[in-house]
Amino acid sequence: MIEITINGTPIEVEKGTVLLHAAKENGVEIPTLCNHEGLNREGNCRLCSVEITENGRSKIVASCMFPVTRSISVETDNERVKRARRTVLQLLINRNPKSPVIQQLCSEYGVKREERFALEPDLCIRCGRCVRACETNGTKAIELVGRGFDRHVATPYETESDACIGCLSCATVCPTGKITYDESPGKRKIWHKEFDVLKCARCGIYFATKEMLDWAGRPENDRAYCDHCQKYIESVKFLTEHEQNK
Amino acid sequence: MGEIDRIAEIMHSYKQDPRYLLALLLDIQESENHISTEAMRAVARYLGVSESRVYAVATFYRTLSLKKKGRKIIRVCMGTACHLRGSAAVLHELEKGLGIKVGEATEDGKYTLETVNCVGACALAPVVTCGDDSFGRMDPAKAAELITRGAFE
Amino acid sequence: MKFETLSELRSHIEQLSEKKKPGKEIWVCGGPGCVASGSVAVAEEFRKLIEKRASGSSGSFWKDLTVLIRHEDGHPKIRTGLTGCMGPCENGPIVHVEPEGWYYRKVTPEDTAGILDSLLEGRPYKAKSMYGSDGKPSEDPRAESIPFLSGQKKMVLGNMSSMSPLDLGDYLEHGGYSALLKALETMTPEEVCAEIRESGLRGRGGGGFPTGVKWESCRKSPSDKRYVLVNGDEGDPGAFMDRALMEGDPFSVLEGLTIGAYAIGASEGIIYVRHEYPLAVRRLSNAIAILVESGLLGENILGTGFSFHVEICKGGGAFVCGESTALMTSIEGKPGVPRVKYIRSTEKGLWESPTVLNNVETWANVPLIINMGASAFKETGSPNNSGTKVFALVGKVKNTGLVEVPMGTTLREIIYGIGGGVAKDRPFKAVQTGGPSGGCLPGFMLDTPVDFDSLDKAGSMMGSGGMIVMDDRTCMVDIARYFIDFLMEESCGKCVPCREGLKKMQMLLHDLTGGRGQEGDTERLKELAEGIADTALCALGQSSANPVLSTIRYFYEEYIEHERDHFCRAGVCKGMFHVKINEEKCRVCGQCAKNCPTRTIKLAESGKYRIEQAGCIKCGACIDICPFSSVGTVNEVSEDD
Repeated sequence: MIEITINGTPIEVEKGTVLLHAAKENGVEIPTLCNHEGLNREGNCRLCSVEITENGRSKIVASCMFPVTRSISVETDNERVKRARRTVLQLLINRNPKSPVIQQLCSEYGVKREERFALEPDLCIRCGRCVRACETNGTKAIELVGRGFDRHVATPYETESDACIGCLSCATVCPTGKITYDESPGKRKIWHKEFDVLKCARCGIYFATKEMLDWAGRPENDRAYCDHCQKYIESVKFLTEHEQNK
Repeated sequence: MGEIDRIAEIMHSYKQDPRYLLALLLDIQESENHISTEAMRAVARYLGVSESRVYAVATFYRTLSLKKKGRKIIRVCMGTACHLRGSAAVLHELEKGLGIKVGEATEDGKYTLETVNCVGACALAPVVTCGDDSFGRMDPAKAAELITRGAFE
Repeated sequence: MKFETLSELRSHIEQLSEKKKPGKEIWVCGGPGCVASGSVAVAEEFRKLIEKRASGSSGSFWKDLTVLIRHEDGHPKIRTGLTGCMGPCENGPIVHVEPEGWYYRKVTPEDTAGILDSLLEGRPYKAKSMYGSDGKPSEDPRAESIPFLSGQKKMVLGNMSSMSPLDLGDYLEHGGYSALLKALETMTPEEVCAEIRESGLRGRGGGGFPTGVKWESCRKSPSDKRYVLVNGDEGDPGAFMDRALMEGDPFSVLEGLTIGAYAIGASEGIIYVRHEYPLAVRRLSNAIAILVESGLLGENILGTGFSFHVEICKGGGAFVCGESTALMTSIEGKPGVPRVKYIRSTEKGLWESPTVLNNVETWANVPLIINMGASAFKETGSPNNSGTKVFALVGKVKNTGLVEVPMGTTLREIIYGIGGGVAKDRPFKAVQTGGPSGGCLPGFMLDTPVDFDSLDKAGSMMGSGGMIVMDDRTCMVDIARYFIDFLMEESCGKCVPCREGLKKMQMLLHDLTGGRGQEGDTERLKELAEGIADTALCALGQSSANPVLSTIRYFYEEYIEHERDHFCRAGVCKGMFHVKINEEKCRVCGQCAKNCPTRTIKLAESGKYRIEQAGCIKCGACIDICPFSSVGTVNEVSEDD
């Protein structure tokens, strides 16, 4: 265990814990955009910046990435930290004026959009959560492509991709609502691609695309029910058998 | 030999290891003057990486181009020394003379005009290169003359 | 030949040192500058001439002459004597004659016979003498009497002016591989690390991190696989030190790398080279092939059980790949995007294995240190900054070229002593060091010693070694704009501050240089730059603020003129100045009128030249040509102008 202080309060932290988690466990909230539990961490958005001081020297670090390995003191909300977050938010709102989460953060930090530096509105903040979710699934259908200001999320060749299974993980983790899809009974459209969505024979919900079940390796003859009903049916079956055995 | 065969030959000169992705694409760029979708698909299969990754690499590195480049690439050095000695005017003159904007290829597919950050010949700034040839101490007039006397042929 | 054991290499090297070098050597500079000025044709002419005379003449001189000329692609039938970069690029093609040590400038094929004849007669060839300390052609063509060369201390570049970069034999004759031999024969890996640490060598790529400390920490990281890497992704505009080394002395880089691999326990090395340097790639590949053949690379080197393999990895045109983590990501075959560096590469680097990445010049220093010992190495340089540093001295300076000086040499000594001062004797305005991430220092900082710490303190940085001189015709706001444009183009786009922040800085700078500046823009820019420096993910993003911050710090006035008056005093930013002739200073030489492309400069009633403002396109040709500095820029012109 390593002793550190967060905003003056001494706490004990297991070696290697990242600051963001250490703070959260001790009731200190730090805003983030690109961080998502369950996905790899990358430190792209820089909103979780905090100030650390070690041997009298202080610097700004991304708390989602910084592992505690030595005794340090951390400030999560002092003037320098606020200034750093305002810098990030100011840059984000100039290009992403319409995302509720950015609007909310900006009003918290007193940041307004500067008309002079306004850029063409784009909901995407290039945080890469969607890409990491797709990668975590193993599908790898989207990537951050291009570079610099033009970097954006895309499927290969910006067109329909064999790799996409229409699982919507990307849309689910997107913090700004950039990734949208069309859903109508039995149909789904995302990333230039149209999917058939299977209907559960028991409850009637549209539960998965054919490609998702292919990816999961579910046999062709075992695709009638959604996960929920499948489990229900199995448990009923189990109980019936149990009764009979008695 | 068609494009597919040339690409296959390039691929088979490398081990099937994802680390050679960039190297492979650079070779294909040199051979084909661009990276086609078919080439990216083939490379992804050969190295066992996702097409997303191949596409991300192909769009990240400036040397790689999805659009077909001219057979010869005329590069105007935009290094600091060249900038100080007027490379912008030289570039402008070449754009005028070739009838294309920087980054484009001439209609006959002969030349692509590009900028480069530094070719390390700062003493001769501003510098224009084409293949293995470099032309030093350029100014707009000399640049125009390079085109008229066919120095890039 | 293949060296199988340590003693085989030792006896070979001992034999070489006993043998006196025969005859004369005529070296033609094969650096990029000289090649572009036609040095290959000069070398070719020497080859023809020597072949002809050697076969036709019966004189003893020709029999003794070892013809050291060799073709790039040919076999060692004949050697053409092209070397790596000799340094004085401005005066190329350069020819260097050994053992006399004479240097000639701007040599053409027509000079070759004269140079050969004079060599025969043992006298210098005066027609192509380099400049002496009085700025006139020197009577004495030796390096000692040529300020550009005598002001330098060539250690890393030591052999480059008198050695073929293609030939291992040549390298061995110049003391090559004695350092590896010494390390393998007499030192443990720990001792090698300690020697490097003791020497005080710091990373020449710009960071200035102590190399030995890096090596030791990598050696201590537990792993069964470690890597040594060479950063040859020299992307700074206006810098060509690493290119010169890779092309001119590839063996020294590889020897250093091999010593490093032995010291940290690595069996694999990778050289990452910019793809814009095809010749460097060819020369390194050639050197690696020869070393493998000679048993100096590969399995069980010299029978010691130490194995080491080297591969070359080409970059794809991405400046950001010069950043250490981006370089490693790129080698792994991915987009060259940096990683957060809270865990050091010496613990988890390439493919998560402990890795040492050093710059080309750093590696080239290693054999020197092992050969001379740490304490002798430390005698050169200044405290905490031992050894020399190679710079590419370029821009508005008289003698541009590649220079190597002891650390701690002042900017003034380099620019005025070696460089001969500002071109056309215009007023000095600033010197830019450290590439796009560096800063611009003004005239009153000229006595700053050039070392890692002093430049850092002054608000610039060492960087990899670009040194760009700027005169009064350089607009500092435009320079900031130039660097931000560059960085904007090269940002990888991963983190918000760099991707979006550079865009905003670019908008501000384009407004300032485009006559659309608003009150408070300079402050806005400064605040933004400081914010980016604090929050960006990688060193490149953080330092992208430097060109803006250093120019604001030292040239604040000029920013305010752009912001408030929409005036560019340097006469660079379009539409932001008028050109006027100061009639008191005008000597009526007529140069301005002669060079005016629109013929709008006429003799006025006063008897002096005057610019008809209506026709002036503000090209600045008259400002540059006036020998009396009587043409300048003004913010406003009155009716009668």
